[in-house]
Amino acid sequence: MISERVKSNLKQTFSESLLPKLGLLLLVSIVFMAIFAPLLATHDPTRTGHYDEQGAEYPPLGHEYTTQTPHEGDIVEITVEPTTEHVLGTNNVGQDVYSRFLYGARVSLLVGILGTSMALAIGVPVGLVAGYYGGRVDDGLMRIADTMLAFPALVLALALIGVFGESPVMVPDPIVMAGLADGMPESIPIPGTVTIVVALVTWVWFARVARGEALSIRNEEYVKAARSFGTSNKTILLKHVLPNSLTPIIVLATIQVAVIILLEASLAYLGFSGTTLSWGYEIERGQDVLRTRPWVSMFPGIGIVLAVISVNLLGDWFRDALDPNIEGEGR
Amino acid sequence: MTEDILQVRGLSTRFFTQEGQVNAVSDLDLTIERGEVFGIVGESGSGKSVTARSIMDLIEPPGEITEGEIRYRNADFAETVGDDHPGAVDGEFVNLLELPPAIRQSLRGTSFSMIFQDPESSFNPTLTVGEQLAEAVEVQRRASARPRSTRARTESEEYSLGSLMLSTVLPSKKYVSDESRERAIELLELVGIPDPVERADEYPHEYSGGMLQRAMIAQALAGEPDILVADEPTTALDVTIQAQVLDLLDDLQKETGMTILLITHNLGVIARMCDRVGVMYAGEIVERGSLTDTFDEHVHPYTEGLLGSVPDLEGANRRLQPIPGNVPTLLDHEMEDRCHFADRCPKAMEDCLDHPPEFDADERGDHEVRCVLAERDYDEGRALPPDYFDETERTAADKHADPDRTEEDVQPERTQSPVEDSGGGGL
Amino acid sequence: MSTDRSERPLVRVDDLQKYFWEQDSILDRLLGDEPVPVRAVDGVSFEIREGETLGLVGESGCGKSTTGETLLRLQEPTDGQVEFDGDNVYDLSGSELTDFRREAQVVFQDPFSSLDPRMTVGETVQQPLDVHEIGTDDERRERVRDLLERVGLSADQLDRYPHEFSGGQRQRIGIARALALEPEFIVLDEPTSALDVSVQAQVLNLLDDLQAEFDLTYLLISHDLSVIRHVCDRVAVMYLGEIVEIGPVQELFDDPKHPYTQALLESVPRASTDERDRDRETLAGDVPSPRDPPSGCRFRTRCPQVISPEELEIDQETYRELMTLRERVERRDISLETVGDEDQFDLDDGTVPDEDVPAFVEALRNRLLDTDLPAAHEEIVERALAELARGNWDEAAAQLREEYESVCERQNPDLGNGGHPAACHLYGEAADRHEGTEPLQ
Repeated sequence: MISERVKSNLKQTFSESLLPKLGLLLLVSIVFMAIFAPLLATHDPTRTGHYDEQGAEYPPLGHEYTTQTPHEGDIVEITVEPTTEHVLGTNNVGQDVYSRFLYGARVSLLVGILGTSMALAIGVPVGLVAGYYGGRVDDGLMRIADTMLAFPALVLALALIGVFGESPVMVPDPIVMAGLADGMPESIPIPGTVTIVVALVTWVWFARVARGEALSIRNEEYVKAARSFGTSNKTILLKHVLPNSLTPIIVLATIQVAVIILLEASLAYLGFSGTTLSWGYEIERGQDVLRTRPWVSMFPGIGIVLAVISVNLLGDWFRDALDPNIEGEGR
Repeated sequence: MTEDILQVRGLSTRFFTQEGQVNAVSDLDLTIERGEVFGIVGESGSGKSVTARSIMDLIEPPGEITEGEIRYRNADFAETVGDDHPGAVDGEFVNLLELPPAIRQSLRGTSFSMIFQDPESSFNPTLTVGEQLAEAVEVQRRASARPRSTRARTESEEYSLGSLMLSTVLPSKKYVSDESRERAIELLELVGIPDPVERADEYPHEYSGGMLQRAMIAQALAGEPDILVADEPTTALDVTIQAQVLDLLDDLQKETGMTILLITHNLGVIARMCDRVGVMYAGEIVERGSLTDTFDEHVHPYTEGLLGSVPDLEGANRRLQPIPGNVPTLLDHEMEDRCHFADRCPKAMEDCLDHPPEFDADERGDHEVRCVLAERDYDEGRALPPDYFDETERTAADKHADPDRTEEDVQPERTQSPVEDSGGGGL
Repeated sequence: MSTDRSERPLVRVDDLQKYFWEQDSILDRLLGDEPVPVRAVDGVSFEIREGETLGLVGESGCGKSTTGETLLRLQEPTDGQVEFDGDNVYDLSGSELTDFRREAQVVFQDPFSSLDPRMTVGETVQQPLDVHEIGTDDERRERVRDLLERVGLSADQLDRYPHEFSGGQRQRIGIARALALEPEFIVLDEPTSALDVSVQAQVLNLLDDLQAEFDLTYLLISHDLSVIRHVCDRVAVMYLGEIVEIGPVQELFDDPKHPYTQALLESVPRASTDERDRDRETLAGDVPSPRDPPSGCRFRTRCPQVISPEELEIDQETYRELMTLRERVERRDISLETVGDEDQFDLDDGTVPDEDVPAFVEALRNRLLDTDLPAAHEEIVERALAELARGNWDEAAAQLREEYESVCERQNPDLGNGGHPAACHLYGEAADRHEGTEPLQ
């Protein structure tokens, strides 16, 4: 599907510029952290700080009391600054920020990738069909898409979540299941509605790009030639239009992953995520203690920034490498 | 009595691309006389446009003029720059390549002007044609206000953001004066645009292709240049419009006596317009001389092949005689030190394995050819075997995935084809 | 060599029309504006005989390529019909349509856009065989190799991608694809205009050989008269969506009847040393918009031989100038504000004060007309211009029309029948009526 020329362009752009390298390095690290989170984590990210039966053994340092003297087994708000035990400190409820950072990467990336895939699956067929057939089909499909665009994404998302609830989906963790990481949660919650919602608010962009491509490709002479010897529309769509419109769609998809990560973080920040294991949710949690204990919000914030930057850098790299105008051959 | 106005000596323009060094123009000599129309003809990739751009100083990275002289005769100019750049001046001639870019740039419009193939992209769609012409006039007018000073030529009051904003608010502060506007209308009239007063207020998209080409010629004439470089000026036009534009160029040339360097791939346009012709192949002028020298008394097999490829509008329906193969890539590491045409040449001999110098084709000394056939006759005994180049070329082709050689592979088969006889009278 | 073959028409095009409508926006619909069609092809009829090459020549925008595409039913026609082998192409469906798609192929102009950049050459050429499920996989591959060799490429290049080939080679690949289904009929749409002359000659020779070898019938669409002359048996000349002349190639080139054909032939610069001294007449003006073609004969706005009304005794050049003047009045394309010296005339509400009218007319006349007119005509023109001075554009146009209207604008000449018809009043009934006024040049 990807020609030799594209490969060599990708290689060349990669070797010529620092930014793609940086992006790839960042993304690989984030993916690595996300996949091996149970192994890299030092604490169960969901376990709150509390007094166990033996007394004030956990957390060991710098605990704080925000209410009156706690009773045994009570959950108290405890925030620990970074120590050797908790390298990035703990949050308001005594959960390990470092471990939550790792798990947060999982949720962000999963929502980003799943959401983008769903948006692709809706948007690309709609766009290609609309652009290729044109006329009424085009009018109808694109009116629907325009209507979607007319709603602010965040508001639409809130409305849909309001209707359908948050419906978190528990995804079992294969590493924990395999017994490689004891003491870690056996499954992590993925925000179900949020994933569908981000797909619903972003598919339009794929549809528009795919339509634009299909509109120009259907007038290419090779499509006319294919029609002249009787190729069916379905075959033309699959064999000519789809492969030739992939380039901008791939570029858009990488950038949409970043958009969706941000959207998920925003929703989680507003408290609509359905999971507490999310960077956005953590930022919200640290907001109250931002002045005194900045690390609670800071590290998930850095996580979001790095993830978005890395994906955008990769998107730029693809765009530069695949843009025919920058190609050396000029043909 | 004619005098040379432009002498190009040993010009080499190279492009440094990812695939390697491209020798777009190699060791090119060219002499253009004042008031003549000199044509350069060649196929795509022969280097004819690069030659024009080198003369106009329009070569952009990764391209670079690596060697040579471009000597322009202008006594006033020589005197002006003589003080600052004595090395560049030789009598009335100035070697442009010795001058700093700012001074070279100042020659554009007043000494050299260029018209391009695609008039549509040469105009700003958001300004009227008259305005753009007037602006061109204004630039030249200001530049020539103090012709003695190179400073004036290089540092005219160009647009700044401030002056642009001022001009939108205060009409009196406009960059373009009324005289320039009137001159713009005169120019439009000169190039045969009907109703120039009305047309000046129209936008480029309201013009047809032919009219835009005329407007571009008007723009090029704004500074009354000595030399007009026309790069494929009619290629994008229909034949009836092409005829109009060629008539116009012809008339303007006769009226103003300017010198035209005409670049085209169309041999008909060359025949229609030119006094002298240079035939380019693989970055070199392979044959040059008067129109008669090149069209009727040509020596180089490439010239012959080019003329033989053109279907005749009149006369018998003969079978075309194409040149086999394709134009070479001009990549430095693929070019051998031989006649670059030898691999496609029907008369290639052992002598062709050395790169030929320019030979005089006749006694008058104006007809020069880069081909050994100018010195000796074709000798079948010394001919290269037909598959001589196949071996070496094939490896190069495989390496670069450019299977050009196959064209030649099938050539013998095609000439023996039985269709030859039955198809002789046409399809 | 049509003369040796049967005269049976393989393709019969009957009054074919293809209009394009700009996408009408909601605003247009709200305002109730009638969409104005672009009349790309406006009633063309011709036949292509078995085994011959018919050339379709014209300038850009004359509708020749649209004719080719509509004829192959790559676009649905607005009106008219095309018969292929006796069947109306636009009525075909199912297996009949599949058969037609096998028999009629096309080769396009642009060797870069006519091949899918993401398909290897082998896949590209094999595609038609796949679509029509011809033979086994191995047989198809074998056939692709044969085809590539036949068009002068080597069979071991079939795994390469189009960008690895030069323009001429890509055009050969396109030809191989068109040949894959062993068609009877191929539309060649500017097959060589993107190629260098030496490569163009290779491709033309190849097409020549293939026609003889496979008994092909060609429709060659081109703007290049010398290619047409070289390749075709018969030629149809198109102008603004209509065929103005059609005839055997030799006859049409040696004895062009229609003034447009004559002008077209004269415009082509010949590659020979006596080109500069050749007598030629250059056609003035531009092709009008196909959205709003001129009434009557569409060529009349540029025609050097417009038939002037019988009673007028003025030469063609003057008549042409008067026609241009009239046209500008009709289009209201004269700016009265700029007449005369600065602020000489006071044009407050679009009219000139009565006392200034003679001076205004004088100034306007001198600006619009270069030549001196016979006294009678001078008077007519001045009367019309005086109407302009009073702002009566319609009245001025009507006066001029009454005096100078030509048969060429009242009536669109028919192409007529016979071996070499031309759609021009010089050869029709009108010419008989105006026998006295031989066209002056």
